[in-house]
Formats: sequence, C-alpha cells, structure tokens
Amino acid sequence: MLFNITHTTKYQYNAPVSYGHNIATLRPRKSKGQELLDYTIEISPEPAEISERIDFFGNYITRFSIQTEHEVLKVTTKSQIKREYAQFQEGFFSDACKSVTMKSALESLQSTNLDILDAKQYILESIFIKKMDAGIHEYARKSFQSNRSVFDAAFELMQRIYTDFDFVSGFTSISTPIREVMEEKKGVCQDFAQIAIACIRSVGLPAKYISGYIETLPPPGEEKLVGADASHAWFSIFIPGFGWVDFDPTNNQIPRDQHIVVGWGRDYYDVPPLKGVVYGSGQSKLKVAVDIARIE
Amino acid sequence: MPITKTSWLNSYSTFQGYDEMYTSQNTVRPYWQKLLTGFDRLGVDGLMGRQKDIDWLLSENGVTYNVYNDPKGMHRPWNLNVVPFLLHQDEWKTVETGLKQRAELLNLVLKDVYGERTLIKNGIVPHEVIYGHRGFLRQCSGIEYTTRKFLSIYAADLARGTDGRLWVVNDRTEAPSGMGYALENRSTTSRILPEMYTEMNVTRLSGFFQELNQTLVEASPIKKENPNIVILTPGSHNETYFEHAYLSSFLGYPLVQGNDLVVRDGFLWMKSLQGLKQIDVVLRRVDDAFSDPLELREDSHLGVAGLLDVVRRKNVSIINPIGSGVMENPGLIPFMPNIAKYFLNQDLILPQIASWWCGQKKEKQYVLENLSKLVIKRIDRTNRESIHFGEFLNPEELDALKRNIEQRPYRFVAQERISFSTAPNFIKDSLEPRNLVTRAFCIASQNDYSIMPGGLVRVAPGRETIRVSNQRGGTSKDFWILEDQPINEAKIGLWQKRPSIAASGLEDLPSLTAENLYWAGRYVGRTLVNARFIRMVMRQLSMIQNPNEEPNSEKLKTLLKTTTHLMGTYPGFAEKAEKGPQAMENPYKEILSVIKDKDRVGSLAHTIGMFSNSYYTIRNLWSSDMWRVFEDIQKLWKSFQDEEQPSMNRILKVLNQLITRLIAFMGLVEESIMIQQGLLLYFIGLQLEQSMLTIVKCRSLLTIKYDAHTEYDLLEYLLISNESLNIYRYSYRSYIQLEDVLNLVALDLDYPRSLAYMLNRLQKDIARLPQSNHNNHLNSYQKFVFEAFAKLSLAEAATLSQTGTEDHFVRESLDTLMEELSDLLHQTSQSITSTYFNHTDKQNQLFTQSFPI
Repeated sequence: MLFNITHTTKYQYNAPVSYGHNIATLRPRKSKGQELLDYTIEISPEPAEISERIDFFGNYITRFSIQTEHEVLKVTTKSQIKREYAQFQEGFFSDACKSVTMKSALESLQSTNLDILDAKQYILESIFIKKMDAGIHEYARKSFQSNRSVFDAAFELMQRIYTDFDFVSGFTSISTPIREVMEEKKGVCQDFAQIAIACIRSVGLPAKYISGYIETLPPPGEEKLVGADASHAWFSIFIPGFGWVDFDPTNNQIPRDQHIVVGWGRDYYDVPPLKGVVYGSGQSKLKVAVDIARIE
Repeated sequence: MPITKTSWLNSYSTFQGYDEMYTSQNTVRPYWQKLLTGFDRLGVDGLMGRQKDIDWLLSENGVTYNVYNDPKGMHRPWNLNVVPFLLHQDEWKTVETGLKQRAELLNLVLKDVYGERTLIKNGIVPHEVIYGHRGFLRQCSGIEYTTRKFLSIYAADLARGTDGRLWVVNDRTEAPSGMGYALENRSTTSRILPEMYTEMNVTRLSGFFQELNQTLVEASPIKKENPNIVILTPGSHNETYFEHAYLSSFLGYPLVQGNDLVVRDGFLWMKSLQGLKQIDVVLRRVDDAFSDPLELREDSHLGVAGLLDVVRRKNVSIINPIGSGVMENPGLIPFMPNIAKYFLNQDLILPQIASWWCGQKKEKQYVLENLSKLVIKRIDRTNRESIHFGEFLNPEELDALKRNIEQRPYRFVAQERISFSTAPNFIKDSLEPRNLVTRAFCIASQNDYSIMPGGLVRVAPGRETIRVSNQRGGTSKDFWILEDQPINEAKIGLWQKRPSIAASGLEDLPSLTAENLYWAGRYVGRTLVNARFIRMVMRQLSMIQNPNEEPNSEKLKTLLKTTTHLMGTYPGFAEKAEKGPQAMENPYKEILSVIKDKDRVGSLAHTIGMFSNSYYTIRNLWSSDMWRVFEDIQKLWKSFQDEEQPSMNRILKVLNQLITRLIAFMGLVEESIMIQQGLLLYFIGLQLEQSMLTIVKCRSLLTIKYDAHTEYDLLEYLLISNESLNIYRYSYRSYIQLEDVLNLVALDLDYPRSLAYMLNRLQKDIARLPQSNHNNHLNSYQKFVFEAFAKLSLAEAATLSQTGTEDHFVRESLDTLMEELSDLLHQTSQSITSTYFNHTDKQNQLFTQSFPI
C-alpha cells in the first residue's frame, strides 16, 4: 500500500524567539514491511544550518538551528511510504511464534548471540520507564505465566489495557509517571504503550516503544477529513526464536498497513517527534496536523 | 627542652593493620624517620605553630569547599594537616606504571562502548554493566574525537590494602576534581615546611601542570598556536568551585558558566564584551548529563544547548568528553582483568578491591548470603548516600536492601570491606594514626599518560571512621614522592604562560564576569552609601529623643522618609502601612529591620548578601588581601546578625567598622584587578550607583522648602551622610545654605563626591567599553549619560534653589532636574545591560508534543 503523509508541526510563541536549536525524529525509518520512497522536510523560518544523522537505535535524527528572530516555527515533512506489513499477520498466529513460552523465552535470553544481545537492552529500565512498582508487576503477571505462550500473554495484555484503561486526552502529559497512569487507568496512546512496556519488562522480557502514524478511516459513506489522521504510538515485544511483534493497545489490534513506523526506542524519551531549546521569554502554543493519503 | 624523636611515637598506637610509617619488622621507615627528625628540630610547639601557619595561610588565600544541601555548608575552610604523606620513588614507579595501564584500559573501554561495543559483543563485559548505567549516554554513541585519547584526564583513588600494596578503590573519569587542591596543598606545605621540603628531595609538581596545559592546547580540533580554551564551571555553589577559580587563574584561561557560551553555525562561542569569540577547547567541570539541555538533561541550566552537536562536528573538544561518566562504574571492576587481557594481553598491575557484580547468578547469591560483611554500591552512583555498609544495617534495612538487589540485581556491586592503612596526622599536640585515601591524577600526553608525582590525600576525621571524604569534615595532606637525589631546580624550568584570551583585554571578558563586576560595583556602592546614611540617621535619633517614640520634628520625619526612599524599603517611613502599626510610631524597630532583616529586599543585610554573592562569582580575580578584608566583613556582619535587640551604640559601632572595612575593600579592588580584567565595569557600576543614590538623597531632602531651622539641619544631614561637611566648611567658610550645598554636592566638577564629577567620570569610563563610539556615533547608553551630564552642567544653583512663587513650597526646577537625571541613569543601566550582559533571553524547552491518539 502506498501512502503520502504530511506532518505539520507549528509552534506559535507569544513573544519573539531570538534563536533556537531543534531535534526532530520525523523521517520514517526502514522497517519490516515498510519502505520510505520519498521524503522532504520544510522548515520556516529557514534554518541557518541543518544536518541529519542516525542515532543509537537506528532512527533518523534531524538537527537544525534557527538564528533569525521569529514568532512562529513551522516544520512540515512529506513522506511517501510503501507499507506491506499485513502479509506478516498470519505468521504471528503461527506455531513458530505462539509456541514460545515465558519459560523458554527467559532461557533463550541467557544466550549471547547478537540478536538476543541487541534485544536485551530493552529489558533494562529507561528514562520514562524507571522503577517498576508492585502494581505494574502484578498487572503483568495476570497475563504472563511461566508455561504460557508469550504471544498469547502479550495479546491478552493488549486487550486488557484496551478494556481497563480509558482514552482521555489532556489528562496526562509526557511527564506523567507510569504509576499515576496505572492508578488512574486513563491516558493516551503513548501512556498505554509505556504501561505495556513496563509490564513486559517487569517479567523480564524485552519491549520497545514505537512512534509513528495511524491512518483513520472515515465512517462508512463519509468523506475523509484532511488532517484527521494522527501521530501514534504502540509497543513491540521480543519473542526469542521468532522476533519482534507489534501490538497497538489503543486500538486493540496487531498493526497492519494502516500503522506507519517512524522510529523506535526504549520509550518516548528516545523518539520525540520534535524537541528544542529556544531563547526568548514567552510561552508557546503547539498545533500538529497529520494527513495520510492513500495512493491506490 | 628539645624533644627526643621517640616522644613523637610514645602515644602513637597503630591499633589496626598497616601503618605507613612502619616496616613489617615494626621499625620506622628511614624517610619517615627523616621527617620526624625534622619535626624534632621544631618541637611540639614549633609544629603546632606551623599547623597554625597553615590554617592561617589557607584562610588568607580563601581556600574553601562547599557542601551541598547544607545551608551552613558554603565556603567551608579547607583543612590541611601539617604532616605530609610520604612515598618513596621506587614504590611510586610501580604505581605509576599501574596507573598508566589503567588509564589506557579505561580509555579503550570508553572508546569501545561508544563505538564498536566489541566488549559486549564478545562477552567480555555484560551488557547491563554499560547499558544499565545511567552514565551511558546513547546520544554520544558514534562520536569521533580529534584528541589523541578519549580519556584525557583520569583520577584514581588509591588506598593501601591488607597486602601492603596500593589498591585502586575508585575510578574518576567524568570531571575529576582535586588537582587544584593538590596544587594548593603543595604550595602551602612547601612554604610552611621549607627545610624538610628541600632536604627530603620532593618531586616537583610543576612539570605535570605544564603537561596539562600542553594537553589542553593540543586538544584543539584545529591545530593552532593559541587555541581559545575555557574552564566551564557550574558556578559558585559547586562543591569545588574554589578549585575551578584556582585553576582558571593558574592556567590563565577564562572561567565561564553555561550562560557565557552559545552555539551558532555549528561552533561554540563565548559571549564577551566585544561580541562572540570562538572556543576550541573546554575543560569541563559540569557533569555529563547537564552539559547540553538540547540532547541531554532538559532541565539543565548549567550547560550549552547544542554543545554535543558541535563536538560531533569536531568543532570543539571537551575534556573529558561528555559521556565519560560511564567509566565511574564499580560494575567494571570484576571484569577489568579480562579487559586487560582482551585489549593489551596483560595482567592488571594495580590490585583492585574484591568486587562482586550482582548481575551474575553465583555472585548475587554470594552477596545476598554475606550482605552484612560487605559494602554495597550502585554501579552508577558512587556518592556516599548510595553506599551501604552491611555491618551497620539493622535486619529490616538488610531485608530492604536484599529486595532492592533482587529486583534489579545488575545495578549493584558488593565489595569487600577492608581497612586501609593509616599514616600520622598531627592532632592538637601529638601524632595520631588516621586512615587515608590518595587521589592520583593522570593526563593524556604524547602517546601515553603522565602521572602527577603526588596527589590529593584525604584523611578520615576520626579514629573509627572508615569513610574518607572531604564532605564529612576530614582533612587533607600534601603528598610527597621522595627521590634519592637532590631535585635539580634548573631542570624544572619556568612555568611559561602562553598569552591566552584571559590576558588579552577587555574585549574578551566573558559577559557574565563583566556583569558580575558591574553588580559588584553597584552593590558595594549601595552598601557604603546606605551604611553611611543609616549611621547618620541613628546618631540624630539618639541625640534628639527616645528612638522608640514617634519623632515630633519635621526634620527627623523627613530624614526617616529619606531612609526609606534611599533603600527602597517601602512602605517604611514614606508610605502608610496597610495594616499593623506605622513605622513612624517606633523608628528604632523599623531601622533595625532595614539594617538586619536579610529577607527584606533593600535592607542593608540583603544588600550585603547580594554584594557577597557577586564577589564569590568573580573569585578568580581576587587577591588574598581582598579575601581577608572580605572575610572580616562577613564575620563582623554574621556576629551582628545573631544579636537580638542591639543597643543604638552597638549598631553605630558595627556600622563604623563596616564602613571602614568597605573602604579598605574598595581600595584593594582598585589595586588588585586590572582595567582589562574588568575593573572598568566595576567602576561604571560604582559610579552609577553612587550617582543614583545622591540623586535620591537630594530629591528627598531638598526639594521641599521648610522653615529656616529645619532647612539648615537637613542640609547638614546631607553633607554628613555624604562625608562632605568638612569640605563644605573648608570651601565655603560660611553658614550652611542651599545654593552652596548644591554647588558642592551636585555641580562641582572637581569634587569626587559631587554628582557632576561622578557623571563626568562615568561618561569617560563608558566611552572605553568595546562597543562605544561605534562608527563615530555615541552608543545609546553614552547618549543617556551625555544628556544627564549636559542637563546638570546647564543647571544653576540659584535657579534650583527657587520655589515657583514665594508661598510655594516645592523647588520645582530642582525636583524636575533630579527626576530627569534619575530616569536617564536608569535608562543607562538598562542599555548597558542589554548591550553587554545579554542574558535576558531565557532558555526554554519547546513543549514536547502530546499525542492526539
């Protein structure tokens, strides 16, 4: 499936900003079943310098500096993506995947082969997913049991989060601790992804955070609105002997072609779409618009 | 009576383990014997005298350290014991080789973990030891450096273990501290014990610091003869700020804070008075995570946004590189022997403390079973709060610790609890054994590491204390490496200071330093003027009536109101208080408050506090005389602050002392700091402040016309508070009258305390600022002062003395003039600030976006 994705981020400052340095994780990386065919980034005002590099996790990081005084910062990226991920769906439900139990997974993780070694870093605590409290572990243990299939457990965990948690935007921010989300059972997609990751790590398995987009389909018979699509986040669990499997607890499904990967890391901290330090005295107002257009 | 050498050791009981002074046969080692013989010549009293000299010298030089989270912990005096720690060259040579090996190993590990990570891939080091360490900064992965070594500076804490060898206890790699203190200890001890220092052939430190300088110069990404080097400090509240300032003046490189630096066009720049100056090398004393709020800790205001990317582009070198904190990692200790094999195919030369990393099953089991005998540390927190001594924990604490270890075993390391060697410390009047730890320093030099021949020795405070740390109130020692041959002074050579940007003029003054000097001038001026004024007010009050009662004369009321206007302590005497008793009803109480209440903005105590802060931040520019007088002021004020209800006479006495010391201090500032170092900014601040306060006084005391008697007294008050009464009498030899007073205090061009003189001087001083007279145009602050000076020059005392009409009681032209001058000077200050100290742009994080789904 081919998509044209336009992602616009606009910061409006209430006082002029004299200069600023920014980092963006906006260029979609190549990932399983996904290819980037075309990509442009447009920044206004024109940055004095801009560069791109690949980070520790293999994501594209764009860094730019704006040195002219401005009141509005606008970053627009246009990506053309070829996404053929639905084809793997059957594989996840295959024996090769489903037969891996917690017990055997934990044993396999003792190995030091390079794939396992790479995956194991996603068991350790990370910036936003720090000390696990008993609540998380308890919640996780209901699904993850020694003789049970890891895939089944993860699937159930996704379902439980979808059922137990309410999607409430504005209730949490990126600085809301996991514990609070767990207690309140409210949040947005990034909270749900991070709760799941915390649960999986608490039982000793690797899980990572995926940042991307999701295409929303209009109700039957209605026209799709431009800008109705959105940034999105979900999680991925490592099943030793099989590989990484993605789950979207916000929508209670295993991603297919409507999910588009931008980057991944240990948690949100590793892949913020846009961050920066600006010099000025005011506050800013943020507007984000994402539009995903199918090219049949 | 001379004391025999044995008497030093009569009460010296080496109750535990190894003592540095003794051989295994229990005889005193020859070089310690030599030192004791030297002490014999001094006798107990003599040695006590030398210890006193040391204490005095350190306090003279203002050698201090700070303790975090302790309100009384700022600027504690540094302690140095008169007995040095001795080590013979032969033993030191082995240690040196061992240190070089370890520095090189850590260098290779650092390079590997931020590069190929073969140690992890090949199973030499478990991944958790690196990935689970909060000092492993993934942002730094893959950065290439232009310096010869990744690790340019390495410090190791050494202590003598039970086998009689020196062991490595801790590795310091992030921003090792202590070098400056070691140097200061050396310079003090060598002055206090000159006989022994010469006799005993002590290896000199100067060569090491020359190499340090060379290392910094060569670190420049673009090879130049004189790269621009700065020392980045977190500021005057940091524990070792003294050392930052000390190294800055010793090496001759500017001391800067994050705010002084900025990233533009992919380079690092220092904001100086002239403008931006490109920086090549940063000697960093800010922690890794705080160095760049863009990529690292977002809440940091100690670093420079974008710094890491400048490093990535190889446009600046940071010493040590950001990310090197991951090597401060006791989790590495158990793997060091294999690392040495892997990289160098060698055995470790220096022994290490037996350590068990809990990330391994067997080791964890052993630790959990033997917890009460071990010392438990986090792999990534080596500060004392995170170290648990198993033997001191009660059963509940042990259980809690066990649970913590079980939860995340990879974060913990347990170490054997060993008793280190002791060495003699001079306490009161005798020698006593104390545990000690030595910090040794290594720097990357030509293809190898160079080791400081000596180091910083820290001594436990009490007999029973095992924890040795300056933060716990221990003391320190000089560290002498002894050679058999006399030291050849000629070979040492002179310390050749290269011309550096610190010495090259006002243009390159960091703007934060400039700003601090400017405010130092303003606050010292404000303190002096206010202290003099209050002194005069109190004298009048105590002469005329009971100071606890409301004054009945207009002149006293006017005087008290002026106090409030001058100090800005409203409502005070000048305005009606909204609730509670009016200040006028009990002048003593209000005056006491504006003197002593340090939380009240504008009070004398508050101003003195601001004055002290601004001076601490320019610590590197001080002379030792300045420090002494400054300390005197602090002591005087501190003891006064603690007094409750001081008498009028007591207050007057303190004010007199304060004023005398302030004047001494101001005199010293003028002769100790050079104009190029920023004294000009100090003068500008001082003149501006004094001018502004003179204006307030004139306006408040003179613009209202009173009856002749009151007028006379007010004029006299003005002259007294300006210290101008004698000059007035000398110049005018007449009854005090307004016109003459205005001529003297406001209009006289030759009298240094007159407003006209001060504005004229201000005008000349600001003309010397780097951005003045640009393209033959006056800068805006020049225009303001020019206008003020012109207005004042055109004024005539006779006109200013007139009221509108005979029955009018406001001197309107005087009032108008003073108001205009006041406005112009405020604009001057604003314009200077925005031109030169442009910190008004606050660093803000963009709000990170929240997800709509």
